[in-house]
Amino acid sequence: MTQDSARRRRANKTIRSMLPFWLIFPTVAVLLAVQVYPALYTIWLSLHDRQPAGWEWVGPRNFDRLFKMGLFGESVGHTALFLVGYTSLTLLLGFFIALLLNRKLKLSGLYITLLFIPWVIADIIVGIVFRLLVVPDYGLLAGILQNPALFPPEGLSVLTASRAAAWVGDFPFPPAPAMIYLILASTWRALPFIILLLLAAMQTVSAEVIESSRIDGANSSQVVRHILVPLMLPTLVVALFSLTLSGMNGVGMVFSLTGGGPGSSTEVLSYMLYALGWRQLEFGRAAALALLIAAINWLLILGTLRVTRLEERNA
Amino acid sequence: MPSLTSKRAQGWLVHAALATICLFALIPVATTVLISFKGERDILRKPPNLFPCDSATQPFDPSACRWSVEGYQRVLAPRPAPEGLLPIRLTGNLVSIYLPNSLLYAGATALLVMLLASMSGYAFSRYRFRGRQTLLVAILAITGIPLLTNLLALYQMGVTLRKADIPLYDDRFFLVVVYTGFFLPLSVWIAKGFFDAIPRDLEEAALIDGCSPLGALLRVSMPLALPGLMAVFLLTFVNVWNEFIAGYLLIAKNEFKPAMFGLYEFLGQNIINLQVVAAACILIALPVVVLFLFARRSFFAAMVEGAIKG
Repeated sequence: MTQDSARRRRANKTIRSMLPFWLIFPTVAVLLAVQVYPALYTIWLSLHDRQPAGWEWVGPRNFDRLFKMGLFGESVGHTALFLVGYTSLTLLLGFFIALLLNRKLKLSGLYITLLFIPWVIADIIVGIVFRLLVVPDYGLLAGILQNPALFPPEGLSVLTASRAAAWVGDFPFPPAPAMIYLILASTWRALPFIILLLLAAMQTVSAEVIESSRIDGANSSQVVRHILVPLMLPTLVVALFSLTLSGMNGVGMVFSLTGGGPGSSTEVLSYMLYALGWRQLEFGRAAALALLIAAINWLLILGTLRVTRLEERNA
Repeated sequence: MPSLTSKRAQGWLVHAALATICLFALIPVATTVLISFKGERDILRKPPNLFPCDSATQPFDPSACRWSVEGYQRVLAPRPAPEGLLPIRLTGNLVSIYLPNSLLYAGATALLVMLLASMSGYAFSRYRFRGRQTLLVAILAITGIPLLTNLLALYQMGVTLRKADIPLYDDRFFLVVVYTGFFLPLSVWIAKGFFDAIPRDLEEAALIDGCSPLGALLRVSMPLALPGLMAVFLLTFVNVWNEFIAGYLLIAKNEFKPAMFGLYEFLGQNIINLQVVAAACILIALPVVVLFLFARRSFFAAMVEGAIKG
């Protein structure tokens, strides 16, 4: 009798100590199968080349050939340009709009809801929506942009105008109109999330700090510069990194808005990865590019972790 | 101190600024709705006009508006169905193939993610076991693997699995598992955050009263965590619904294509018929926009939680 209950208690205890394992096991299994294994597989792919007979070991030659492609350097330039334009525009506008919303307003709930609608719309749909506006001759914005009186000498056609000659070496600057338009469309979609993030951080800055600095005679721009921005710096960095990540890995907008064109003027690295892999069927070289993109991602994630750690330590 | 009137003037200024910003945020949506309700004749006009409402004498005459549902008709392809419950049947690929597939992928993934994330989120929140911290950091690190860079390998895996002729297996199964793996890591962290916010005392009280650990989880913690888990479900649902590139590359058969794939094909087939493309965009975006409007608090909670962690 007592032996029996002791055994049952022991069994119970084993089940109890095994419970966290069984709760976590399915998650770990799925992550190993479709995240970790493919990541290792990509490393393997990057060191091989597809031959008619099968995969042939080529070592680092894929990287070598990738770097020698003229399009690679150009794509790096496009990506850098895109990221600088996209992150700075989104952060500036996001900060400004969050500042407007950061007060007791009657309709702020309505404003936030309306502002958030772009975020719910898929990037590929946003690309199409913005494309519809500038379809040559028939788009609503094209009607304005193609007016030679406004854009001499012959009007501006976003989807067909090619890039002007580069100012410095091969760096794709000034960007093509399509690139500027791509930045605007991406900003439009990313803005709501950044507003929400910055607003949440702004609301943790206590009203008393701002109030007392005001009593000490600080004006609005001084409050923003010397109090809000320094206190929100960790969140601003997190926002910058998350924008960089989404900008570097998002490909849907390029797909539906420009398709990398006109010419190669909006061909960013993420689109180049697709084109290398599925248009040219160069999986080895594409895998090498994928590893480069993943490496940049990892650096950014590590940076974010450092910043959030600092924030926790300071709090 | 600023006087009362200048404060009030400032308030009006803020409202005016915010209203203008909202207007700008919605202009692209509004123009797409306008385009979707134009007929072919008004789409192919040079120069284009905003409203299809000009008459021979006036630039804008509300009585002369030529609104049309031609775009929607061509997407939905309604046919008369004398035997059915409704007098017409929608036969377009969007309704018969693409939207049901997207619903299946988004719903199945969101359910799986919610289930797995709540299980592991609970374990991470409530138990201290060896390797806990390492696993948590590893899961966070996995969020650093972008879906895009994994796609080459996932595509190869998909091809291999397709050739293996596993009974009952098809691309749909693979895509759902891929999506689950991709949206799970951040959801685990979000779910852990929601469980952390529930006081342990409640569960301990239940344990003392003779409840089993599993019973405490199901009867006490789960109901309290439900709003948070619902947020994880909704966020995952919208993310999968809106995802394009993985669905585009991992699905081979026409009858398994999700809505975004179908939309991309519409774009290729209707270069000039802007009203058809616009109508398809609206039909595909509408479900998630409505979902968001009804459950926006839930979305915001999950996003703030996720943004701080990830």
